[in-house]
Amino acid sequence: MEGISIRISGANGDGIESAGALLSQLLAHNGLYVFGFRGYQSVIRGGLVWYQLKASNSRVYSIGNGVDVFVALTMDALAAGLSNMGENGIVIYDSTVIKTTPAANAKVQFVGVPLMEIALKSGGSFIYRNSVAIGIIGKLLGIDEKTIDIAVGKAFKRKPEEIETNMKVVNSGYDFPINAKLEKKLAIGNAPLEKYLLNGNSAIAIGAYAAGCKFYAAYPMTPASSIMEWFALHEPLGIFFKQTEDEIAAINMTIGAASTGARAMCGTSGGGFSLMVEALGLAGMLEVPIVVVESQRSGPSTGLPTKTEQGDLLFAIHASQGEFPRIVLAPRSIEECFYMTAEAFNLADRYQCPVILMVDLFMSEHSESVDIDPEKVAEERGEIAAASDQQTGRFMRYKITDRGVSPRSLPGSKGLAFVASSDEHDEYGSLISDVLAGIPKYVELRKKMHDKRMRKLDTMLDDGAIGMPTVVNDGADVFMLTFGSTTESATEALELLKSRGINAGLISFAYLHPMPSDRVKKLLEGKRLIDVECNATGQLAKLIAMNTGMVVRDKVLKYDGEAITSREIADGIANYVGKV
Amino acid sequence: MDMLTQESYKSDIKPIFCPGCGDYGVDAALTKAFVDLQIDPDNTVVVSGIGCSSSLPHDLKTYGIHGIHGRALPVAEGVKLANRNLNVIAVGGDGDGYGIGAGHFVHAIRRNIDITYIVMNNEIYGLTTGQASPTSMIGQKTKSTPFGVIERPINPLALALASGATYVARGFSGDPMHLAKLIGGGMKHAGFSLIDVQSPCVSFNKLNTYDWFRKRVYKLEDSGYNPNDIMKAYEKALEFDMDPNKFPIGVFYETTSPEYEDLDVTLKAGTAVGWNAPKKEEVANVLNEYTTEYA
Ligand SMILES: Cc1ncc(C[n+]2csc(CCOP(=O)(O)OP(=O)(O)O)c2C)c(N)n1
Ligand SMILES: [Mg+2]
Repeated sequence: MEGISIRISGANGDGIESAGALLSQLLAHNGLYVFGFRGYQSVIRGGLVWYQLKASNSRVYSIGNGVDVFVALTMDALAAGLSNMGENGIVIYDSTVIKTTPAANAKVQFVGVPLMEIALKSGGSFIYRNSVAIGIIGKLLGIDEKTIDIAVGKAFKRKPEEIETNMKVVNSGYDFPINAKLEKKLAIGNAPLEKYLLNGNSAIAIGAYAAGCKFYAAYPMTPASSIMEWFALHEPLGIFFKQTEDEIAAINMTIGAASTGARAMCGTSGGGFSLMVEALGLAGMLEVPIVVVESQRSGPSTGLPTKTEQGDLLFAIHASQGEFPRIVLAPRSIEECFYMTAEAFNLADRYQCPVILMVDLFMSEHSESVDIDPEKVAEERGEIAAASDQQTGRFMRYKITDRGVSPRSLPGSKGLAFVASSDEHDEYGSLISDVLAGIPKYVELRKKMHDKRMRKLDTMLDDGAIGMPTVVNDGADVFMLTFGSTTESATEALELLKSRGINAGLISFAYLHPMPSDRVKKLLEGKRLIDVECNATGQLAKLIAMNTGMVVRDKVLKYDGEAITSREIADGIANYVGKV
Repeated sequence: MDMLTQESYKSDIKPIFCPGCGDYGVDAALTKAFVDLQIDPDNTVVVSGIGCSSSLPHDLKTYGIHGIHGRALPVAEGVKLANRNLNVIAVGGDGDGYGIGAGHFVHAIRRNIDITYIVMNNEIYGLTTGQASPTSMIGQKTKSTPFGVIERPINPLALALASGATYVARGFSGDPMHLAKLIGGGMKHAGFSLIDVQSPCVSFNKLNTYDWFRKRVYKLEDSGYNPNDIMKAYEKALEFDMDPNKFPIGVFYETTSPEYEDLDVTLKAGTAVGWNAPKKEEVANVLNEYTTEYA
């Protein structure tokens, strides 16, 4: 899995993200797999920003363990990035602003380039330093100048007045006689390997659109906000979007919209999800299909707003009072962000319950070159009552059935009116709380209604609607356990472990709740398991213990705000199996 | 089609209200307004929160959503925004709408979504058996204010006006015929309408009784009041605060202003947001914004 890692870093406002995006595009177009991520601080101006990407001729699962080319625009960026350098990496720093030459380092080559001076001389200004960097990196990688020009043209399609200056600046960077040699080589192609380059939040939004989502409601909160911004921009496609006064309104509106039959979704991060909790139970009780995206950031409370973590898994599975069926999914890649969001709507409709899609900042915000095929999205709308279902004079919305699912009617349908009630209710939806609670007949009925709803959990498992974890390398001596976003780093760790003589495998979960306990137990039994997660308590391991009784004691955990790297995982695993 | 009568809207469920509860008057006035406008019950959704008053949807044959405490408005907004062809009515109590749901109240109003909101204001928390509500009067002794209320009550009409309301009315459940007119007016009004209904709680509010209201209530329309002047509306909304012997009911304010649904890029097409997934080519078109091709 050889590849090249590139990092560009500076202050907020230096155009780091746009440079990273442009570079990613350029490399993806030139026949490489790309995986990129922006690190940033929760300040608007001046904070440290970096964009790191890895490009390779084979599929990439991380931003790389050691940086090969690092462009630093500020002293802070330089200081913060040095520890991430790989063997013989090249550090290019803006010698116009960084006057103190970094201390010599046997591991890396330091090259001062007057980025600012070049930018100014070729007609740009201070903020064009990122474009100089693009030219320099393009040259180092051996990409032909013409394709770089095209990439610049594409990146500035919406700001045509900027194209000319940017191209000039990029070309000056390209022409700068840089005194450094990149040892690793990539086979540069001239056609993309994968059709698209996008991040998790875009994939979620487009997955929802493909599934026929017509309603999105949200209140801004990193790292879910870019889903909202996608819907805001794409409203003309015929999807209604509402920015609400708070997350409580967002989920309640979503429930209202879904009650009319529209496919509806809301999204937030942990703090907003905390506010949504009561209404999550409402969706469970009314049996209204909704999809809730929870993009986790580091907690507790406000926590680290721009950093990643997987600390909300057990919270999402248990959130809200009482017991009701829900489904919790955690996509493990950008492709799964797309397909599982579409699937979430099908599951919600089939089982008439809330579906929570768990991602995290790293999954939401990292980009990959991927192929996505809309043809693979199937639409299943669940059971909808027809006028002929009205037999008793009043529509039995919550009819007790073997599967626990009762056909629902949509407002506007003749003769199928009913009241959906958050209080416990009978098969028609009428209250059996308050005045009727305690009367033997209704005590019995309460139990029956609760059983009916809860039965849906067995039904979805029996239907095979809840997938099993994926196993990589069946015959391994030791297996990593992951869910969601850590799966990609763990996939990359497989090779690192192999090179250290460890025959490792991977068991990754995308379907977290409900869990097909017996089958999962059978799968895990007799295997040497090590839990790998981005949280401090090993929540997946706890979940597995809860469902199967199997206790996984060994854990590789990270919770400092950054995503876990394949090297960290490999070191952790090696530590346990005694081959450091 | 046959003429719809009040029976066409009443379900077989017996209301949970206590004998003499003001909310019976609201039940009657609402179905009367339905008859007057010949509303199609199958095309109508009545949404509520939690409270005695919020059980009202069960008394009707329309579609209903009996949600959670304080959240009637966002649920109702979701229904209306997803299918603007439905008649959407939100109902609930003073605690539901002006207390726990106060945040939603001002925002629903400023959006001017075409929803009729009926608040059964009994100046008390009824269902939880008699604690102070945000509209309980200063000095009132309740279970949670044994030494008397010391907070100023919310003035829902003034708050609605300040939030940009386009239809603000107050009724009295002791006069259901008059109330039916106010509700009907709200339903006909294009945009958000608030009907605050003084609806006595006979069990837990011994202060704001039918008699208490009858002594003070007068109808704005009888005094030649013109509801198109916002400054006059504020004046009338504050009248009881200035003179505790005067309690006007009627339409305080009405103006025309575009509905949210007519301004939104998606909804102005005039239809429900619908059901069908896009064609595969349409999805591919969107994905193309992320293409790695240069063509
Ligand atoms: C989140 C939440 N908090 C508290 C309650 C308890 N509760 C139920 S009804 C109610 C107040 C009811 O007062 P109001 O809205 O004025 O309705 P009324 O019964 O007077 O018609 C409260 C506090 C609840 N159901 N949910
Ligand atoms: Mg009340």
